[in-house]
Amino acid sequence: MSFGTSTDEETETGPGYPLRRIVLYVTLAAMAAFYLIPIETGIMTSLTNPSSYSGQFPYLPPLEPLLSGTGEFSLQPWQNAVDLLGQGLVNSAILVIPATILSGLLGSMAAYGLTTVSWRGQIAVYVTFVAGIFIPYQAVLVPLTQFWYNVVPLRTAFQPVTVLPFVQGYHWKLVALIVTHTAYGLPICTLLFRAHYKKLSDEMIEAARLDGASIYRIYRRIILPLSVPMFAVVFIYQFTQIWNDLLFALTIIQFGDASVVTQELVGLGVSQSGTNFPLRMAGALVAALPTLLVYVLFGEKFAKGVAA
Amino acid sequence: MAELTLDDVTKVFTEDDGNEIVAVDDVNIDIDDGEFLVLVGPSGCGKSTTLRMIAGLETITSGEISLDGRRINEKPPAERDIAMVFQSYALYPHMTVRENMSFGLEESTDMPDDEIATHVSETAEMMGIGDLLERKPADLSGGQQQRVALGRAIVRDPEAFLMDEPLSNLDAKLRATMRTELQRLQAELGVTTVYVTHDQTEAMTMGDRIAILDDGVLQQVGTPLECYHAPNNQFVAGFIGEPSMNFFPMDRRDDRLVGDRFEYELTAAQREAVGDADRVTLGVRPEDITVDIEGGGSHAYDVFVDVVEPRGDENTVHLTFDRGVDEPETFTATISGLRHIQAGEPVVATLPPDSIHLFDAETGVALHNRSLETTEVTEQLT
Repeated sequence: MSFGTSTDEETETGPGYPLRRIVLYVTLAAMAAFYLIPIETGIMTSLTNPSSYSGQFPYLPPLEPLLSGTGEFSLQPWQNAVDLLGQGLVNSAILVIPATILSGLLGSMAAYGLTTVSWRGQIAVYVTFVAGIFIPYQAVLVPLTQFWYNVVPLRTAFQPVTVLPFVQGYHWKLVALIVTHTAYGLPICTLLFRAHYKKLSDEMIEAARLDGASIYRIYRRIILPLSVPMFAVVFIYQFTQIWNDLLFALTIIQFGDASVVTQELVGLGVSQSGTNFPLRMAGALVAALPTLLVYVLFGEKFAKGVAA
Repeated sequence: MAELTLDDVTKVFTEDDGNEIVAVDDVNIDIDDGEFLVLVGPSGCGKSTTLRMIAGLETITSGEISLDGRRINEKPPAERDIAMVFQSYALYPHMTVRENMSFGLEESTDMPDDEIATHVSETAEMMGIGDLLERKPADLSGGQQQRVALGRAIVRDPEAFLMDEPLSNLDAKLRATMRTELQRLQAELGVTTVYVTHDQTEAMTMGDRIAILDDGVLQQVGTPLECYHAPNNQFVAGFIGEPSMNFFPMDRRDDRLVGDRFEYELTAAQREAVGDADRVTLGVRPEDITVDIEGGGSHAYDVFVDVVEPRGDENTVHLTFDRGVDEPETFTATISGLRHIQAGEPVVATLPPDSIHLFDAETGVALHNRSLETTEVTEQLT
């Protein structure tokens, strides 16, 4: 490489670091920074003393240590956030795990029944499934409240179950929310699984039928094991959707002990004396951690499922 | 092991717009116990549909299919005791070879696990895939996958095998090997087999009998040699044999046939066979045409060599009556590979009267087939 006299062509073909490569890395670094700075800002803010918060750039490390006067760092806001959100985190977990598994499993079964098994009128049924995707949430909020509070006597029906250990009376609201989220997740789950099942070889299913497997056994032994990558996609998607949902939670749970983490987060660190931004930031990060965990757990399978 | 009977079997597909398509039209075939029957025909002729009806993967519009004397029309595929080998092999990709082969026995019988394991191991040994049992299909070559697919069918010890172009995904050399192996295997096991192919070579070489379908209609069922030497009609004559039979459209004039390019004198027997048909098609197989540098006679014609395709053992010679035309109409003759002949050369082609076939030009029905009196295959064909 000569000093600045090289043309683009020479740079590309010459030894060393071709210009194109440098541009690529700079762009990548810039994009990484673009995505990571907000998170970094959140972490820094969560470690800053509330009183010194407004005096500095939020993405720089705190100028004044959190415990003023002692010169020490502290994870106090994180501790507080976990304490204050604890109940919400537990409620969210009770809600999200069954709702995710149910919508994935039912979506897969529905897609199998609507794709691999052939019967008259299945397209019409499938179309009603797909139509479900386009129903705006706002349109169903009032009927949904009416349904769970006035039409279905879930609250009284749930009473006998509360004798079981760990089951509380207010959990009926979470059950209602689980059913709601499962129902609303079904169309998109079915759509995703159907796309996957359409690519499976018809001859393979026919071979299984000739081998004597029933419709249920074909699902259990052939379809289900081949759906693992798609389950990773659906689990990540549904987990994130349901975990982050606030609208249905506000509609069905409204308030009280059954509140999920997104509801608790709304009021976290807000008081008459002002907003405790470090606490809110710590709370937001704590609330976001489980979704991150799910990405890490299913990430590899997810990539396979998306690529498939 | 059982005989399989197709009685007036018809399949009509109804399209979305209400149009009806007859895929299989009134097919009758009796397949003996232990027989290897090849269903052959061009693509879209209904051979796969026929096979799928036997398997139970397609409903039967009318007619009856019975296995071992029992009607199986209404039985679901699982209860027919039939195993099928698919063109794509249709192996279960998430299972090992052992699991693939065990699946059918696990699903369709109450056999205990250890017995299944023994059966699978024995069959795998027989198929030469004993050392592959713990591998997944994706780790196997095409030929190995093919063996697993066959093994999966064999291990179930069914009443009948159905094979849907099982060799068409293999390369030419492996296909030839598997062809022989399949024949040997079928003879050993003695299981009634229906084999579907579009490849007339497979049909000729593998089948005890072949059934030729065209456009859903059964054209002929017979031994390979019957179909070759005594075709029912022009379609069978043209489909069986490679290179295919030459056809010349001719008009009948008294004791001779008159075509665009030549005239052909008929024997008394041939005249009688033709009867009062005005227009006939003269057919003659390429290997029956003799090509000489010079000569003459009542059935010899002066022609020119258009193209020579050497195959080593023989030469396929394209001959034409028109010299110097860009794309002349040609007919083919096969001659010994040791003879030297060049494009453009004038030669004399003889169409011997005892080897010609005559078909009705309207219906394609065979009016007269070649004489076999002077050949050694006569006994086999009577």
